[in-house]
Amino acid sequence: MAKRDEIRAFFSGQIEENMDALYGVALRLTRSGADAEDLVAEAVIKAWTAINTLEDRSRFRPWIFRILRNCSISQYRKLSVRPVESRYEDGDDDELSTLLNEQPDDFLIWWANPEREFFNDVLGETIMSEIERLPEAFRMTIILINVEGLTYDEAAEVLNIPPGTVRSRMKRGRTLLQKSLWEQAKEAGLTNDRPDGIRQ
Amino acid sequence: MKTKETHQYDIGCLQAIEAFYAYLDGEIEDPKSIDEFEHHMRHCRSCYSRADVEKLLSQRIADSPKTKTPEMLQNRLRNLMDDIE
Repeated sequence: MAKRDEIRAFFSGQIEENMDALYGVALRLTRSGADAEDLVAEAVIKAWTAINTLEDRSRFRPWIFRILRNCSISQYRKLSVRPVESRYEDGDDDELSTLLNEQPDDFLIWWANPEREFFNDVLGETIMSEIERLPEAFRMTIILINVEGLTYDEAAEVLNIPPGTVRSRMKRGRTLLQKSLWEQAKEAGLTNDRPDGIRQ
Repeated sequence: MKTKETHQYDIGCLQAIEAFYAYLDGEIEDPKSIDEFEHHMRHCRSCYSRADVEKLLSQRIADSPKTKTPEMLQNRLRNLMDDIE
């Protein structure tokens, strides 16, 4: 088999294997089925034209996710639309304590001793819709790692940020997710905590 | 002379929470950091409890239904694959 045919076979195989994941991430980036389809098609064409820049084939997944994300950013620029920015900044030294200081006391009391049953009761769709409501930086980090199974290193490559920032976004994003799930559950009467912290 | 024993495993709750997700996601490679975290988990009920539900939540997220590519896009991509040179 000629070299070009071999590369094409590899590329086609990878696209087949990663199609659902690419569409899933595109859907979360665009929030529109039609736009997500166009975005995936554009990314696949761009990826093929840049296939010679892929030095390590085992890094295909982060490489093509990064192309997908870059295509999405280009689309935003063309439309002069900016994604919703997070009010949280990366890189604070004591970021976790800062973040925790911003949380209400009754959440912190609950978070110190959360109920396992509570997470059994919360529906999978509720968890996913709360992830969708997170600020973009945290949402994409959680989706790439917890949904698509990328490593921190691969997610850093996709998002074009240092691995340390991925780690801090995971902490912040997951803490915010816990808080929003707790708020949902509190409204639905699923938590056992009283506001004074005394467990019922 | 007897020196004071190093408390190599003494990390606080805030440090443990800092390491939570990296540990649960298998991203900590340094054996000393793993020992410190696990030691804290064995001795702190509150952090153990948090880690336990975080594990459960990660599992719930991983098990959530995956998005399926619409047939129209599948065909579009396969046609693209056929046309690339």
